[in-house]
Formats: sequence, structure tokens, C-alpha cells
Amino acid sequence: MKPKVLLSRVGLWSATAAASAALLIGIAPMTAKAVNIPTEVTEDGKNTYKKYCSPCHGEEGKGDGPLARSMLPKPRDFTRGAYKFRTTPSGSLPTDDDIYRTISYGVPNSTMIPWDILTDAQRASVIPVLKSFSEAFGVRKPDPSISVGLEIRPSEKTVAEGKKIYEEKLECWKCHGVEGRGDGPSAAEQEDDFGFPIKPFDFTTGKFKGGNSSSDVYLRFTTGLNGTPMPSFAKELTDEQRWCLTHYVLSLIKPEENKEK
Amino acid sequence: MSGFVGWNVIFPKYILADKDYTEVEVTDGGAIIGNVKYMGDLATLSLNLSGNWELPETSTTAPEKLVVSRINNGLKYAVVSITDITKGKKRATPTIHPIIDQQKNTYIPHVVAILAGTTIDILNGDEELHTVHTCSVKNQPFNLGTTYKQRISEKFDSPEIIKLTCDIHKKTYAWIVILDNPYFDTTDKNGYFEICDIPPGTYKLQVWHEELGKLEKEVTIHPKETSNIEFVYSPN
Repeated sequence: MKPKVLLSRVGLWSATAAASAALLIGIAPMTAKAVNIPTEVTEDGKNTYKKYCSPCHGEEGKGDGPLARSMLPKPRDFTRGAYKFRTTPSGSLPTDDDIYRTISYGVPNSTMIPWDILTDAQRASVIPVLKSFSEAFGVRKPDPSISVGLEIRPSEKTVAEGKKIYEEKLECWKCHGVEGRGDGPSAAEQEDDFGFPIKPFDFTTGKFKGGNSSSDVYLRFTTGLNGTPMPSFAKELTDEQRWCLTHYVLSLIKPEENKEK
Repeated sequence: MSGFVGWNVIFPKYILADKDYTEVEVTDGGAIIGNVKYMGDLATLSLNLSGNWELPETSTTAPEKLVVSRINNGLKYAVVSITDITKGKKRATPTIHPIIDQQKNTYIPHVVAILAGTTIDILNGDEELHTVHTCSVKNQPFNLGTTYKQRISEKFDSPEIIKLTCDIHKKTYAWIVILDNPYFDTTDKNGYFEICDIPPGTYKLQVWHEELGKLEKEVTIHPKETSNIEFVYSPN
């Protein structure tokens, strides 16, 4: 029974959320082909940033726009070059495609919307503007992206293995809670690099911030989320263990609970 | 809030980038030995807050923010360095990596001063998960989860002052001070430091402490002589 249930869940969620469906096809090659990301700051990019981004992220990219006060999680402060959703290793700068992906698909459970009202070219033109806010892009280069291998088949065994890692090896429950509701014992005291309180993610909602596909969840363990307490487990877990943990985390989604919300 | 404070400490301009440092053989070098003191009110520091109650081990570990010797008011974990030296001894990075260990939810040692280009090994000696989290800008930041007996090797290439934190145990932190010339030292438990093989001349000697900030003094080095320097932090 179990593996079938899991498969149907993975299937259900990727089918229902339009964003994740597109992600399963693989967004990186698509963006590389279709959109030409400029390397220099353009007038068009500056205007787009000022009109659509600066109300929250601030005119100078410090995450202190006039609307930022009422938001939690706070709009990102671009001056440190710390981007949450990347395909690059922990601490590394993001690739242009990573930034483009976040702009295009937004961040669920936050005030960052998918910016599909902008054209592809407008979205791409903002990227050099964002990079110009941080000196880090001048000093360092993004590390090469992590390539996600073939997913192992979800089964009862991989879920059980993942549960063991979640509860014993990495003690994910300390922040994310035993049932994955983001209510672990250390959850209350977490704050991000900018000193703002931050909540560990509640897996039961099923709206993963970096994307719902299993390869997205897999990437989050490997890359961590820069600027937040979520570390990278690149050194701790083997490839197979990370897939097991992915399957367990996906099995924590409770779609029936979230229908009412 | 600790994140904010730490960040303000990191950025000021005392991370001097000496781009033009030439390596020469120093034959008639002088040395500096000295002492860093904190002339604050030690009575408050010696208060026994636990009042002989048996507390869990994590709450009894002493905060290492301000470690002052009771004997001579010497200040531990201050980093003394020459900031404006342009030529001197070889910049040799240690082949045996310096170690920062996490034991009983505490980073040991609390402050490590290294030359740019040195690799540091960060260990986990506790049978539970720790994270090693930095938020540097010039050096690549990282945030890695570590389990028992894990060893992380990280190379630090640019001069910067970096704070290491653990997100699961919020109380603990450590500092890595990266300098771009080999003339530096960290004070011992009685506040003593020693820097040798300095080519004769006049230099700026600077001391950094995480709580008390920095002090600067000019020092003249004579060939094959030892200069004695004392830094005093007053409480105000």
C-alpha cells in the first residue's frame, strides 16, 4: 500500500501545482535556450526593478522598501549576495538561472509572487541589477551547479530509511518537528543572518518554497538555504540517503488537512 | 540580535588589505612581546550566578566573551597584529590545519587567528547534530550540518573577521580572524603575546577584541632587540 500512496501523493502534488509541473520538465535548459540574460545593467532593468521590485526590496536592494515592514518572511536583502534557492553548493552565489527561476515562479508561503505579469526579457533584465547591489558578485564567482542524478524509486523502504535519518541521524525534528509541522524544540529561537525571526518550514502544507518536485527537495538538502539557519548536508549524506530523506519529507505532506485552508 | 552586533563588528575598516607585501629574508629582525590588559571591574565577573545549584551542563559552560585573568588582569583571546607592514618574513601557511572543535556545545578555541590561505578543520565532538554557519562576504560563506566525528575543511583566502555560529545551540560562537601578513598573535590566558622576526622600522600595532573593539599603537623595532608593549582597555 505505502509506496502506491506515496507515488500518488507525489503525482497529485506535482499535477496540481502548475509551477512544479513545469519544474519537473526541468526549467534550467528551458531558460538557457529561451531567455537571454544580459550581463550589464540596462536602463530597462533599472526601471523594471524600480517599478516592481523596490516597493518591497528597497531602492538600494537592502530589503527595506516601504512595504517590507508588514512582511514576514522579510524581502531579501541583496547586499550580501545570500540567495536562498540555488543549484549551487552551500554559501555559493546563485547562477543567473537560479535567480531567473525564483523571479518567474515566486516563493510560495511568502509575499514573493510569480512574476508572470512581466515579459521574459523584463524578468531577465532585473538580474544584473540585483547582482549590482552586492560586492560579493565582484569578488567571488558562483560555484558550478550540482547535477541531480536519477531519482531512486520511492518505496516503503526508502521512506523508512528517510525517517531514520530525519529522526536519528540529522535530527531534523529539532527544528522541523517530529511530524514536520515546523514546531520542533529549537524552532522558536531561530533567526536569519539579518537578525529577523524565521520559522522552520511546515512540510504538511506541501507548498515547498523552492519548488515541489522531488529534485527540488533533494537540492535543498544539498545546497542549504543561504542566509537562513537551514544548513547543507552535502558532506553528511550519500546520494541514496538524500533521496530517502526526500521521499520521507514528501510523505509528510497532508493534502487532506490543507484543503480547508 | 546577536547577528546584527556580529555583523557590525565585522565590517569596519580595520580589515586592512595590504596588497603589496614582499617576502624577504629577515636576518636582523626585532621582536615585540607584550601584554593586553582589561582594567574593568572584575568583581561583577567573579559573581557566582549559579549559586552552587546543579545546573544542566550546557548552562554552566562559561561564556568566553570576556576572559580576564585574575592574576594580572590579562585579557585572553585578543588578536594583536601589525597592520602596515610591506615586507617581511615568508607567508607560510601551516601544513597541519588548525582545529576548531565543538565540545559540549562550545566551540574550542573561541578565537583563531590565521594567515590568509590557511585551511581550518572544524570538528564535531558531540554525539548530536551541530551546524557550522558563517556569514562572510569576501570569503565564501557556508552553513553545514555536522554529525558526530565529522570533519569539515574550509580554506579562507581573504582577510576578514568571521563569526562562526551554530543555529541549534544559539549560545555558542567562535571567531576566525584572517590576516594578510604573518605578523600576528592571539593572547594567551594571561594576556601575553609575542611577534618575532620583524624587520627594523616603525609600524602600527593593533589589537582587536570582540567585545572591547580595537586599540592602536605605534611601535619602533630595532635590530635584534625586543620591544615591550602594553595595551590597556579601560572599561569606558
